[in-house]
Amino acid sequence: MISRLLELFLAYEEDPNVKLVMLKGEGRAFCAGGDVVAVVHDIWAGGWRAGANFFMKEFSLNYLMATYSKPQVSILNGIVMGGGNGVSMHGRFRVATENSVFAMPETALGLFPDVGASYFLSRLPGFFGEYVGLTGARLDGAEMLACGLATHFVPSAKLPMVEVALCDADSSDPVIISSIIDQYCEKSSLKEQTVYNRLDVIDRCFSQRTVEEILSALEREVVDQRDGWISATIQTLKKASPTSLKISLRSIRVGRVQGVGACLTREYRMVCHVMRGEFSNDFFEGCRAILLDKDKNPKWEPSKLEHIADTTVDRYFSKVKDEDWEDLKLPTRSKFNLPPYVIAKL
Amino acid sequence: MEQAFKRTQILTNHLLQSSPSSQTLSSNACLSYSPPELSENYAFDIKDMRKLIDRHNLEERDWLFGLMKQSKLFNPKVRGGKVFVSPDYNQSMEQQREMTLKRIEYLLEKGAFKGWLTEKGEDIEMRKFAGFEVCSIYDHSLFTKLGVHFFLWGGAIQFFGTKHHHDKWLRDTENYWIKGCFAMTELGHGSNVRGIETVTTYDSNTGEFVINTPCESAQKYWIGGAANHATHTVVFSQLHINGTNQGVHAFIVQIRDADGNISPNIRIVDCGHKIGLNGVDNGQIWFDNVRVPRENLLNSVADVSPDGKYLSSIENPDQRFAAFMAPLTVGRINIAISSVYQSKVALATSIRYALTRRAFSLKQNEPEVLLLDYPSHQRRLFPLVAKTYAMSFAANYLKMLYVKRTPQSNKTIHIVSSSFKATFTWNNMQILQECREACGGQGLKTENRVGQLKGEYDVQSTFEGDNLILMQQVSKALFAEYMAAQKRNKVFKGLGLEHMNKPCPVIPLQLTSTTLRCSQFQMDALCLRERDLLNRFVADVSKCKAKGESSEQAFMMCYELAQDLGKAFSDRAIFQTFVDAETTLPAGSLKDVLGTLRSLYALICIEDVSFLQYGYLSVDNGANVRREITKLCTELRPHALALVSSFGIPDAFLGPIAFNWIEANAWSSV
Repeated sequence: MISRLLELFLAYEEDPNVKLVMLKGEGRAFCAGGDVVAVVHDIWAGGWRAGANFFMKEFSLNYLMATYSKPQVSILNGIVMGGGNGVSMHGRFRVATENSVFAMPETALGLFPDVGASYFLSRLPGFFGEYVGLTGARLDGAEMLACGLATHFVPSAKLPMVEVALCDADSSDPVIISSIIDQYCEKSSLKEQTVYNRLDVIDRCFSQRTVEEILSALEREVVDQRDGWISATIQTLKKASPTSLKISLRSIRVGRVQGVGACLTREYRMVCHVMRGEFSNDFFEGCRAILLDKDKNPKWEPSKLEHIADTTVDRYFSKVKDEDWEDLKLPTRSKFNLPPYVIAKL
Repeated sequence: MEQAFKRTQILTNHLLQSSPSSQTLSSNACLSYSPPELSENYAFDIKDMRKLIDRHNLEERDWLFGLMKQSKLFNPKVRGGKVFVSPDYNQSMEQQREMTLKRIEYLLEKGAFKGWLTEKGEDIEMRKFAGFEVCSIYDHSLFTKLGVHFFLWGGAIQFFGTKHHHDKWLRDTENYWIKGCFAMTELGHGSNVRGIETVTTYDSNTGEFVINTPCESAQKYWIGGAANHATHTVVFSQLHINGTNQGVHAFIVQIRDADGNISPNIRIVDCGHKIGLNGVDNGQIWFDNVRVPRENLLNSVADVSPDGKYLSSIENPDQRFAAFMAPLTVGRINIAISSVYQSKVALATSIRYALTRRAFSLKQNEPEVLLLDYPSHQRRLFPLVAKTYAMSFAANYLKMLYVKRTPQSNKTIHIVSSSFKATFTWNNMQILQECREACGGQGLKTENRVGQLKGEYDVQSTFEGDNLILMQQVSKALFAEYMAAQKRNKVFKGLGLEHMNKPCPVIPLQLTSTTLRCSQFQMDALCLRERDLLNRFVADVSKCKAKGESSEQAFMMCYELAQDLGKAFSDRAIFQTFVDAETTLPAGSLKDVLGTLRSLYALICIEDVSFLQYGYLSVDNGANVRREITKLCTELRPHALALVSSFGIPDAFLGPIAFNWIEANAWSSV
């Protein structure tokens, strides 16, 4: 699918008849993400390079979408997780509905929020990005709109009308496209229990320097107020791979001050190290426990945050020490007339 | 709401007009912005270069940058689709001060200052430096308020005080339960601390010191934090015990209560509006026979017994004063380092701008030429990049010197920090001015940062040590080293003066390109100047003294040589750190580019008028040097973007003209 999308996007960019690209899913999901099981099988069969190949293509597609010279409208009418975010969040317009469910759940799997998440999560308000990336929290359509992950909220019943209107408009102008979608938008109210009402706690805790300090801060909050949500958040963090938590936090923090290309290049290095299992086998253990054997009881190693040194985390960000390995080669964008909103991301 | 209404109007107009396709602006004959990232290549890994110049605590820096970028308190603004954070200098003086305090409270709450006073060791000292550097990149007022509280007040407690002071004050300072300031400077005395006129006596009946401002020239002036917020201060005053003036000592005085009411017998007035740094509330303070307990004397070097006897382990008042003042060095170091980061902000902004701004075509019908493609523009900016890299390496050397200090190295630290503080801050003002001009009119726009930095940072050349005075101290120290070496059989040791023990370097008659780029030649040239000027200075001073002048008078009369000598020492010391950094690198493109930059730095030092004035270079060789500089600038052109990207300053902390300045100013954006 990644290869096919790459082909199509490359072709559409050169085709003057294509004004904008709309992406939508069939069934109850927009896209639930990459087929992680398949990647694991590929690695078992062909070594880590087979997995690296997949991510290289995927991240190239993500970059292409982030720097696309034409607007992309993604209709997120359902589940949008992991790789599904990689092919939608970088586009100019993301339309959420009452059916949308967003998540970047990688830390539970022994991976980390990739597909350029270190770029788009780090730019959410305050330290919401750290919360979403570390806990893999699920967000609904209203929450996606509130924090900026979605640009519009349209009730699913009106989606066909949006499609027709956009096709009729036949325009590449983002102002026009936005105002067309606006016409079908409805006010979306945040549910009473929304995590978006807890931003003060989230900012206090998830702004801390380290994962350990984030957990301590959360534990202090629980003492002050007997709060189910905070306890659940602590539990989620404790069940995630400690290595994943540490590299994810660093990734988001570094990504906050980098352009989208630099983020993807860095994430590619990280994912290669993960697949090589150089410092930890957590990715494979996570896939086994959650996706294959489904016992939901992964045995992480290292099992404690304190056992993971900063120098180990550093290594995930360095080049891979292998003769044949190269940094991610991003597609050249210089010959295209890039719109200002793309230039701002470089 | 008004914004939303305006937007709706614009959108309505779009929709109500004729078919959409005719609305799209055609790009014919119109300038468009082309980001330098797409047309320039990186010949080396900018992450590696950043690690080399920032050296330590990169994660801590990025975390702090992130803390500031993500908070509304830091005045985020969107320009051309990107977020920029920078103080609103259009706010009133009072508002700017409130915002500065709010920002400090935010960072405090996030744990940014954890351990700054209560932890010990190299790690926390390096972490403090990094945190401080990041704060300076955001705003000088933020940096200065923090500096006064942590390094001046906090440092005074740490270094002038003893255990009971540490126990009583350090934790409260770190947590901002009290706010400190540092009352040393007076209306009549700044540089000459020993001449201050505040007087303190001891009342043995009550066990109290009585601190008094005896005349108007004795009022404390420019005391950062005093006008609005500070609750406590360290007062520097002459101490009179039993009719004898024992010299300058420091006392803790509470100047405000927790509710902000000024303490009795203390008068405070705002120093008023300044040309920059208005986020700092500088105050004037008068003490009207203020009484403080005996324990409030910071007694690490001297003490007064309950019955009023003066006690000190150091007999000699000059040595006592020197020991007393030594800890203030860290303030000087922080200022030196912060100035380098402002140069980085200015250069990153103006070079990125010059990579996207065009002016004049060389031939008809050709596109206009990029500013940075003009040799003259390269000549303006690349030497400044070389200087900034040199200062970065020198700053790191100075930090390590400080962090690994011993009682024996204190003298070296004092001299090197004096030399570097003067040199870096003067360089920074020059760099800011040149970068402002290189940005043309856009340099005048406050939000583009470069021009505003001039007013904000101008004070650096005269506070924490007036630059001219500091450089005089350097030349006096070199004179003393010369005298000491004479006593040691003419062997120089320390301050990098060991080259004096070797034979005098010889400058080749013909300076070819290869020679000019050779680091040995470059070092020889700089050492030759330092050596010759030191010899001349010593000779001239000795001649004056032989005629009967005192040392002080002799130094005063030989001030020109002293100045030139100070510069010679600084250039050579800084260059040494550049060479040392370069040698640590493995062979490769990073080392090659750094080598080119190193040569450029050396040659602009050698281009200085002193080389012709004192005859180290012939006029022809002087011309060869200038030609080589132009060549080096051309060679550095392809690396311009990589060199400034390596500064590691996030986009949000540069000026909007460093990015899509067309979109930033577009009608739809404003």
